[in-house]
Amino acid sequence: MGRTLLIFRLVLADVRRHPAQAVMLLVSITAATAMLSLGMSLHGATETLYRQTRAATAGPDFVAFSPGSDRTATSALTSLEHAPEVVAHSGPYRQFSTTLTARGATANVVVQGAGATPGPVDRPLVTSGSWVRPGGVVVERGFANALGVHVGDHVTVAGRSLPIVGIAVTAAYTVYPWAEMGAEGPGDNSGLVWLNEPDTRALVSANLSVTSAIYLKLRDPAATQAFLDSHRASVDPNQTTTHFVTWQFMVVQDSVMLKDSQPILVIGSWLLCFLAIAGVATLAAGRAAKQTRRVGLLKAVGATPGFIAAVLLAEYLTLALLADALGLTAARLAEPALINPTASLITAAAGPTGTTIAVTTIIALAVAALTTLGPTVRALRTETVAALADTAHQPQHRAHLTRISAMLPAPLLLGLRLIARRPGRAILHACNMTATLTAIIALLMLNAQPARGYGLGGSSSLTNLKVDQGRHMMLAVTAALIILAVINTITITWTTAQEARPTMAIARTLGATPGQITAGLSVAQLLPTLPGALAGIPMGITLCLIFSAGDVTWPPAWLLFTAALAALPATAALTAVPARIAARKSVAQTLSAEAT
Amino acid sequence: MNEFGGVVRVRGLFKEHGQGQGLVRAVDGVDLEVPAGQMLAVMGPSGCGKSTLLHLLGGLERPSDGQVWLAGQRIDTVNERGLARLRRRSVGFVFQAFHLIEELSAAENVELPVLLAGRSARAARRRAAFLLERFGLADRTRHLPWQLSGGQRQRVAIARAMANEPLVLLADEPTGNLDTAATLDVLRIFADLRAAGQTLVVVTHDERVAATADRLVTMRDGMFVDDTQLAGRTGRLDGLIGLED
Ligand SMILES: Nc1ncnc2c1ncn2[C@@H]1O[C@H](COP(=O)(O)OP(=O)(O)OP(=O)(O)O)[C@@H](O)[C@H]1O
Ligand SMILES: [Mg+2]
Repeated sequence: MGRTLLIFRLVLADVRRHPAQAVMLLVSITAATAMLSLGMSLHGATETLYRQTRAATAGPDFVAFSPGSDRTATSALTSLEHAPEVVAHSGPYRQFSTTLTARGATANVVVQGAGATPGPVDRPLVTSGSWVRPGGVVVERGFANALGVHVGDHVTVAGRSLPIVGIAVTAAYTVYPWAEMGAEGPGDNSGLVWLNEPDTRALVSANLSVTSAIYLKLRDPAATQAFLDSHRASVDPNQTTTHFVTWQFMVVQDSVMLKDSQPILVIGSWLLCFLAIAGVATLAAGRAAKQTRRVGLLKAVGATPGFIAAVLLAEYLTLALLADALGLTAARLAEPALINPTASLITAAAGPTGTTIAVTTIIALAVAALTTLGPTVRALRTETVAALADTAHQPQHRAHLTRISAMLPAPLLLGLRLIARRPGRAILHACNMTATLTAIIALLMLNAQPARGYGLGGSSSLTNLKVDQGRHMMLAVTAALIILAVINTITITWTTAQEARPTMAIARTLGATPGQITAGLSVAQLLPTLPGALAGIPMGITLCLIFSAGDVTWPPAWLLFTAALAALPATAALTAVPARIAARKSVAQTLSAEAT
Repeated sequence: MNEFGGVVRVRGLFKEHGQGQGLVRAVDGVDLEVPAGQMLAVMGPSGCGKSTLLHLLGGLERPSDGQVWLAGQRIDTVNERGLARLRRRSVGFVFQAFHLIEELSAAENVELPVLLAGRSARAARRRAAFLLERFGLADRTRHLPWQLSGGQRQRVAIARAMANEPLVLLADEPTGNLDTAATLDVLRIFADLRAAGQTLVVVTHDERVAATADRLVTMRDGMFVDDTQLAGRTGRLDGLIGLED
């Protein structure tokens, strides 16, 4: 107990001494785990929402459609009611395909005839206003959201202006804009409204295409497909006119809305993990010298290697666990806003599953452990005396790079030699840039793709929600990556500056100006930035091509190159401040500190 | 050399560290003039302000008050860039702790100031080869600092300080970390440089080093308490060498 407390106190003292580093670690791992958790929960989210909506609205196990509204059409449907497996039904109801105009946007619409009180199956949940009444229309929530209409607004249905009396959610239809389920194959994008049965008579006379639909509930919802397979032949011997939609199909169709978002979030979280590792590794390496000395001190007062390892790892592991919890919480909070982009389903957050929690926790701990294990083991292996003197590390001589840099102006010379000191860090920074640019390029590619709007004939007066959702996810991923890349760039510059401080102080005694030192530190980051950023172009394009279904519309090449090249001034700006602060340190003090 | 007749000239020099209760007068009203070609030794107890004085002379620190001239140019009013240029061209520093750049070879360490002065890589290589040869390190040019002995490291450091033919060489306890043999190596180099007309200011605790100088200044509590011209110089060094043999 005493040891645990001591470890805890040592960890707390260290966090207090280096709060910025603790925050940096927390931010990177939180971003990565939040994104991963979101990506993973997207997988089953739609089904959860659909099941909830289905339970709340007495959703059917399947819907049967038959073209027309005459006796032949309805008798085929009503014959299903009497099957022994059927426990309840509603309908048949008439559906009309027409157009609806509201607030300047026109869209296809399915007008569903409805009674003043819904039947036992499919009882739409009214989320505002009331259920249908004569002369008033109820708009499905996803459709209403897309149109931007509310209860009390007027919409024009088949040329007739009607007030909206209510807004409702149903599980009997696939989400907006896929209300057109009556025909085989994907119908055109279409919203859904309910109209009082007597009011639909005006539509009959308008000669609109009409379909009959019946909603059925079975004793065993899981066996819906088996039921259909055995009854299809008797209902519709030619298997041409009647069309069935099961609730299981609706789940699959509804999830299509999130199909683009999931890979974006999952791949985005990988990239974020990579940046987190890069950042934390830089931090850990930057602290290695100090850690080694700390280990020497602990050893000198008789601490065992196990105890020292615990002290060193505890801090990062604790922070990683904290970040994991924060990430999962953030994901849980953000989830409702993401999983129901159409608002056609009842919004509820499922929360992360056990698997998600396990995976994010393992990854968070792995990030912390992988990045700190090396320095920790090295620190433990170092002889106590050497650790105290920190003479354990022998510098690498890179004659080639040194010779090349000798021919360059001072800032480049200093910059190249800084890279030569720590080539691994330059590579890390380049990879940083590649990861970030990959996302930026993917975002530009995504935005360049034409999106067919949900308005009439593909008009963009109504937004394509699926594409829009994908773009939003990509934007969020890119923003998170940029933030981590910014943090990493500052960390790398600062760490490099700290490590190179004695060398830079010597260079100052030899006549290097603070400006040259600042420029050198910036150059050390700028040189790897360019190849790293350029590598992001093919990476981003490749990612988009992997996930794009059909033809790809290419954004202008100059746009992609500008994005990559913009990394240079951005890096220059980010490195300028830490480099300048480091270059301004007093030479005499640095050198005398070095000698102690 | 200039209108004041000294390579280095200092008037009413003060340097304070800290403030309030913790205020330390590291240099407390020093006047000094070092003529061209002179080797000046500065001695005094620890903490009396010798290093601080040297830093002020070389423009590594700025005085709290007073004036510093280097080759007739006021340097206490010059900005950081100007000071850097001055260090590049006119001053060479040698430290007790060597302060070689550990990832650069001996030759590369000596080349660095030449490159920083904007001269070609070839010129830098030639200059480094010349100096290292002159200081008896021709066979050590490709070694990294940790592969060299203390004495060899200090000779590399002196070569680096001499790379741009400075007006004045400022050495802060150059033999403080060296044994007798290595100390003698350094003293031989100093004698050699002085013979060639190099101005030198050497801070030291070592009587033997001070004895080889033209002039000895003694400091106490930031002030000069004694300023003595020493006679016959090479003779002393020869005597020391004899002692060693
Ligand atoms: N950065 C600083 N901040 C506060 N005080 C300082 C600083 N640098 C030096 N001092 C103080 O100034 C005084 C002179 O220091 P300096 O290093 O010049 O002494 P020195 O004569 O070189 O000593 P030594 O022979 O031990 O090297 C000392 O009392 C020292 O404590
Ligand atoms: Mg000193």
